[in-house]
Amino acid sequence: MAPVLLWLIMVLCLLVSVVKYVMGIILKVSFPSAKVQKDYSYQPTVSVLMPCFNEGKTVYETIESISRCNYPAEKFEVIAQDDCSVDDSYEWMLKAQRDFTNIRIRTGRNAANSGKARTVCNAMEHSSAEIIISIDSDCIFHEDAISELTACFTEPQIGSVGGRVGVRNPNDSVITAIQAVIYYSAFQLYKIPENWTRSVCCISGCLFAIRRELLLEIEPAIRARHWFGIPVNQGEDRFLTHQTLLRGYGTYINNDALCWTTVPNTLSVLFKQQLRWRRSIVRDFFYTLKTLPQHVWKLHPNAVWTLILTPLGALIGFLVVLTALTSDPLAWAGPVPLVAALGIGAVLTWVIKKYSAREAVAHPLAFGAYVAWSMVSSLLLTPLALFTMDSADWGTRTKEASEVAVGDTTS
Amino acid sequence: MATPPLSSVPAETKKTPVRQPSAGQALHYKLVITLYRVFAITMLYSVLAGILAYAFVMGFYAINSSWAAPVILSASDEKSLAFREQLVMSQQTIEDVKVDAQKMESGIAEMTKHRAALVALEPELSGAIARERAHNSATGPQLAALDAQKQADNSKTQSVLAQLRQVESNINKDLAAGLITKGDAATQLSALNQAESSYTDSKIAEVMLTDNVLQKTTTGTDSLEVLEKQAELRSEAAQLDVAINVAQKELEEDTRQIDRLRQAIATAKQSPYYLNAAGGQTLYFAFVPYDNRASAVAGNPIYDCYLNMIVCHKVGEVKQIFTGEQEAIHPIFKTQIRGFLIQMNLNGDESAKSRTVFLGRKPMLF
Repeated sequence: MAPVLLWLIMVLCLLVSVVKYVMGIILKVSFPSAKVQKDYSYQPTVSVLMPCFNEGKTVYETIESISRCNYPAEKFEVIAQDDCSVDDSYEWMLKAQRDFTNIRIRTGRNAANSGKARTVCNAMEHSSAEIIISIDSDCIFHEDAISELTACFTEPQIGSVGGRVGVRNPNDSVITAIQAVIYYSAFQLYKIPENWTRSVCCISGCLFAIRRELLLEIEPAIRARHWFGIPVNQGEDRFLTHQTLLRGYGTYINNDALCWTTVPNTLSVLFKQQLRWRRSIVRDFFYTLKTLPQHVWKLHPNAVWTLILTPLGALIGFLVVLTALTSDPLAWAGPVPLVAALGIGAVLTWVIKKYSAREAVAHPLAFGAYVAWSMVSSLLLTPLALFTMDSADWGTRTKEASEVAVGDTTS
Repeated sequence: MATPPLSSVPAETKKTPVRQPSAGQALHYKLVITLYRVFAITMLYSVLAGILAYAFVMGFYAINSSWAAPVILSASDEKSLAFREQLVMSQQTIEDVKVDAQKMESGIAEMTKHRAALVALEPELSGAIARERAHNSATGPQLAALDAQKQADNSKTQSVLAQLRQVESNINKDLAAGLITKGDAATQLSALNQAESSYTDSKIAEVMLTDNVLQKTTTGTDSLEVLEKQAELRSEAAQLDVAINVAQKELEEDTRQIDRLRQAIATAKQSPYYLNAAGGQTLYFAFVPYDNRASAVAGNPIYDCYLNMIVCHKVGEVKQIFTGEQEAIHPIFKTQIRGFLIQMNLNGDESAKSRTVFLGRKPMLF
């Protein structure tokens, strides 16, 4: 009975996913009205908050890309906040502050390592702008990114707007290739039905815009986040999005607001990143269950489905893969799953090549590798995430203290 | 907008104080976290051990070539019942054919005996015909000569009789004349009648003699009847030959069919399904994939192991190998595989319920 129930729930989760992808295609092609009516004449003041931890020179490149934004310089500023990096990140921030004088750049440093979420809050203390944009310090931003984000706030019920994250290094390895496919399909298809109901459940922290008053309202909750006394630093983007929805605001992703991130190109870094994300998903799922009545009454059913079924799929997926491996170990290696996976992969890579040449994937077996990765991640990540909820480690940016390498550039 | 000087920006940002939990709450958190960590470590190591064990089992069964999967065949097993039904039908067919053969043998014996009698009669008949022919050829001419002589005698007698008729008239004249008495006349006339009667007898004898001569010197209807009888005798013998020949061939065919059925039954009796259906005692079988056939040798020891591979102990030996192909589901990989069955002599029932046993040697040396 139990395996049957598992399979049923898994099928339901998969069905919802498939429906979302199909709906994404339909909405994208046939219903332009699903998009927000953007108003580029609306130009509120903007603070771009850039928390940074052990990013090194990348932080300089990130600020450089923001400095090229076409948003009126007098209406935005960059507030770069270092979270006690042990490398030369802070020096690069200072250098950027000196070099890019066409925009206002503030730099600051936490008294102690506090994690990304609290670093954003710390940075926000220096801001008085109407719109706060939180960015990742390892991304490169399109010059229209800020104006695209702010243009969406013309709809008064929208509280948070996200941008699309593209992969800068799709062809570094098979690992990066599969991530390029995942990122593209997630933003261009999977999140479109959520966009339609203004109930995106996770806006990427790479490019996250939020109304100031809303962030101020949420800030205490961000600072107070903990798990049985252990501060929670991960998954701030999911948390912020979730809190936005619960406060009655809409969330939206504007795929024209672009930024590019360098995704992990080794399996170990990818694993750590995915583990961190999986922890956020699990934590968010428990939070949803804990406050389910509130969700049911306040949120759009589409959001409730997504908030429940996406993490449930991840949780059940572990048990389903386990059941499949023990009951019929070689079934997943059969020709049908393989051909189906490669077929879907081929279509997606063709679409990416056609509509976003910069992210075109050259690895023909990328999606096949993704299927293998899905198996491994389903089997390992979920139990690992479930049983390492007390971990505050970011995982991918841990470095030993090093000598400052750009000392001469700060003079 | 001008970038503000570095000195105008605080080097360190003041951290907003976060409300600290109360002592009781902190203790509660600590307790929960401690329990969670113990549980988590246990679970993670269990998962890790499970994954490693799973990978090891997969690898082990991918390369091991001595495993066999015990098969429990129940008395009501579908194949066993079908097998038994076929066997009973075959045995019934043998009995039917045997009865037919016995009937056939009796018929052949009877026909052979009849034929022998006919064949024995034929030379006697031929001898009799030959002897008769020889006798006829010897006596025929004699009779013919006698017949001719008889005819000549009768001609002479006839002329004498004509003279006697003159005598009779003289007698009558003498009597009328009173020359002789009536007695004398009657005596003389009686002698004349006797002479005529003798002549008539002699004529009859002549005719009969002529008839005999004809019979002895020519082929008459009697001879033809005898020859016909002889031909019928031969025909009947020939028909019996054919019938015996056919019956013998049918008997041979029946004998061959009986042999074939007996052979089939003998082979069937070597099947595990027959043994299972017919045997009163519990029998143990195991499926051996073709890849592992080298280990399936009669007399080889059988080991049963904990966790399907370790801490093995001898539980019996291979009794016999069945040659018929079987298909089964791989006990670990769950794929369809081909192989054959073996019969095992097991010390106890438990090993028959194991997922796998190992033939010949312990798979892990312990």
